[in-house]
Amino acid sequence: MSGAASFLALAGRRIAASLLLLVGASFLIYFTIRSAPGDAVDAITPMGTPPEIKEKLAAEFGLDQGVLGGYGVWLSRSATGDFGESLVFAPGQTVMEVAGPAFEKTLLLSGGALFATVVLSILLALFLGEPSARQQGLTGALYFITSAPGFVSAVVFSAAVNAGVQRFVEQAGHETPAWYPIPIYSDSIVPYFFAGFVLVMGDGLLMDTFNAVRAEILGVRGAQFIAAVRARGASVTPHLWLNLAIPIFSAFVSRLPVVLGGVVIVEYVFTLDGAGYLLLEASKQRDFPVVVGLSVLFTLAVIVVGLLSDVARSVIDQREVARDG
Amino acid sequence: MSKRLLRVLSAFLLLTTLASSAAAQQVFRYPEDTRPSSLLPFFAEDMSAVRMCELIFDSLVVQNKRGDFEGGLAKSWTVDADQGGIKFVLREGVKWHDGEAFTAEDVVFTIQAAQDPKTLFNSKSKFNFIREVSAQGQYGVYVAFDRPVPEAEKRFLFKILPKHGFPDTAISRKDKFAREPLGTGPYKVKKGGYSLRSIALEANSDYWSTPKVSEVLMQHTPDKSAQINLLQYSGGKAGVQAVIFLPPKNIPLFENSDSVVLEPYHTVSWWYMAYNHENKALADKAVRQAMALAIDRQELLEAHLGRGDILSGPFTESSPFYNFQVEPTGLELERANQLLDGAGWTRKGDTRAKGKVKLDFEFVMDKELASNQALFLGIQAQLKKVGITVRPNYVDHAKYRDQVFTRRKFDLTLNIWSFEEVEDVYPLFHSKGVMNFIGYNNADVDTMLDTAKATKDYKKYKEQMKQLHAVLAQDLPYFFLWSLDIYSGISKKMKGVYIQPYYYFSSFPEWELSP
Repeated sequence: MSGAASFLALAGRRIAASLLLLVGASFLIYFTIRSAPGDAVDAITPMGTPPEIKEKLAAEFGLDQGVLGGYGVWLSRSATGDFGESLVFAPGQTVMEVAGPAFEKTLLLSGGALFATVVLSILLALFLGEPSARQQGLTGALYFITSAPGFVSAVVFSAAVNAGVQRFVEQAGHETPAWYPIPIYSDSIVPYFFAGFVLVMGDGLLMDTFNAVRAEILGVRGAQFIAAVRARGASVTPHLWLNLAIPIFSAFVSRLPVVLGGVVIVEYVFTLDGAGYLLLEASKQRDFPVVVGLSVLFTLAVIVVGLLSDVARSVIDQREVARDG
Repeated sequence: MSKRLLRVLSAFLLLTTLASSAAAQQVFRYPEDTRPSSLLPFFAEDMSAVRMCELIFDSLVVQNKRGDFEGGLAKSWTVDADQGGIKFVLREGVKWHDGEAFTAEDVVFTIQAAQDPKTLFNSKSKFNFIREVSAQGQYGVYVAFDRPVPEAEKRFLFKILPKHGFPDTAISRKDKFAREPLGTGPYKVKKGGYSLRSIALEANSDYWSTPKVSEVLMQHTPDKSAQINLLQYSGGKAGVQAVIFLPPKNIPLFENSDSVVLEPYHTVSWWYMAYNHENKALADKAVRQAMALAIDRQELLEAHLGRGDILSGPFTESSPFYNFQVEPTGLELERANQLLDGAGWTRKGDTRAKGKVKLDFEFVMDKELASNQALFLGIQAQLKKVGITVRPNYVDHAKYRDQVFTRRKFDLTLNIWSFEEVEDVYPLFHSKGVMNFIGYNNADVDTMLDTAKATKDYKKYKEQMKQLHAVLAQDLPYFFLWSLDIYSGISKKMKGVYIQPYYYFSSFPEWELSP
């Protein structure tokens, strides 16, 4: 089989596997949410609502169908990109109208935070080089600072910023900024930067990524082929980065689910109007089309980035194609 | 702080201030615990939506600061001698937010839409008393009732919708109107002002009494501590000017505040502990009475919720139906034990039992109820002293409604009833009452409620309600707990503040925001 054909076959298999994974995940999500006690009708009708109104509402919301039947309808509609309409959170708006912009913000926030984490990890690894006893103080302190759970970091950080700004305003007589105090919903982009900072510094993400990246850098630097390049008097930098590209990208991809999980809480603390906020609110109101739609979007993001990682790896390293083909 | 750090911070703050200079305008901001469910008044099912609708829409009749009913969209009204109908004369020159004229056709449309079988909303039954509605010229409306209705004007507090805002009288909660409302009220939704977690309103310059605050911004801030934080920093551009309901534990924080004033306001609501009467042990009156005598309400109230009135029956002390001759019971452990002993509930270890039936109950609590855990732990410790065991089951709000109100899978629960202007307890305690989720069935109480419902004389009705209060205080379908003193935290920059019970923002056009 030619290289191109092998690559296409591999890509086809990966896409098919991803689609199967997506269908399985969406069924689990749909089943879990529909099986939870209380539904959208319970969430919006006070006690004493006549049963006939509740029944008509249930029919209007599509809750009169069983879980399997409902999932079948949902699956066939979502295959065309129609995730249905919001029931409670934003009645009359499609799930994509409600969730799309929010998810975009969340993806940008998570991707930005992860990108910053990887860049910081590379810089730190280059700066520190080989592990040594002298670095133990610095790395220990960094481990300590960054190991706090994301929501703790977010709460402590916002309290510290508020107190700092208040003190500064009193001392310098400066006007308070529009994003102050945290948490506040505002049009300002500043809270997004704060949230990004907390994502980088919380949940042990930075030091975990740093460890992985440093090990790769040290591994490649010490490899025989680099020694051979050096012996020929050629520049090692292109070889070094070409060989680091895959592991660093893998570090990015493998940590995306962790960051997407953390972003839900961080968005809540910083009152950002992203997918995390929407997911929590829609869950409380049992707005199952929004919850299912968003959860599927989260899953899809992880699958797509994983797929891209596989494809990139195959393009860079033909041995992958040969091995899988 | 070092000078260098000050300079760096200064530059950062300056940049971020410039980046969001739009937020520097004078705006009344307030946070809400829940996001408004809909801006279409029929579907305004939570208090945050009711408050928003209060700013955007008008009703024919409004309640003034003295509690009297006066004209809103109606200039005047005349009730038929036999109380079988009412004629409204409407205010002329009123415009909808899109500039269209408000007429009698809009009132007729609103009532017809509410009565359209395809318009499904919770308070639909409020329109059942209307037999027919018709326009009499451009500014006259006659409403005929299906029976004589005393004080009929009190039933016309509902919001009026624009006929031209809908294709027909079948209105769905999914209608775009729910996000892009069109009212005649003092505020209208700003262009692009409806977003995922905030709603921005601007003053309606055509309103008959020009609102003094030019903009209102509602921000969904589910975390109560974040709301308190925002009120504390209300000097900040993004701080809020009011927190609708201050949790009692946060009240001391603002008692001597330079920037925030505590505004008490009255709501018709009371707390109760409900017994599931389908539970064999709880169907025993002696058990219910013993529990009431073993729980120290004053201690629980003061320790966990702050100030309020201990109640002896199903009305607040400010209600005309409250029977002050019925004293609330106090803590009487000895009598509680005697009652249980007398009814044959004997101690076996920590928990009393009679045959195979134990006084061991599942106490289902809504996680959203204020101080739920602290209150439960207090009740649990107090009941333990008389040999009654309660086990907690904390569930989220949607599950709570399903489990307690729909499926009735609980033994005990704690909750609050809130009423609008009319305290109608018929649905709660009549055996066929639609809100009787406790399975309460008392033939005498049913007769009293049926008689009261048929009474046309208000004085007689009041007396009947007082008698009912006395009977329920004895029979204890619920253990009536307390009504709270409610406080709102409001920035001292706000002047002319008057908070309308239940609706909160009715007199908001008169509020002022000083710079």
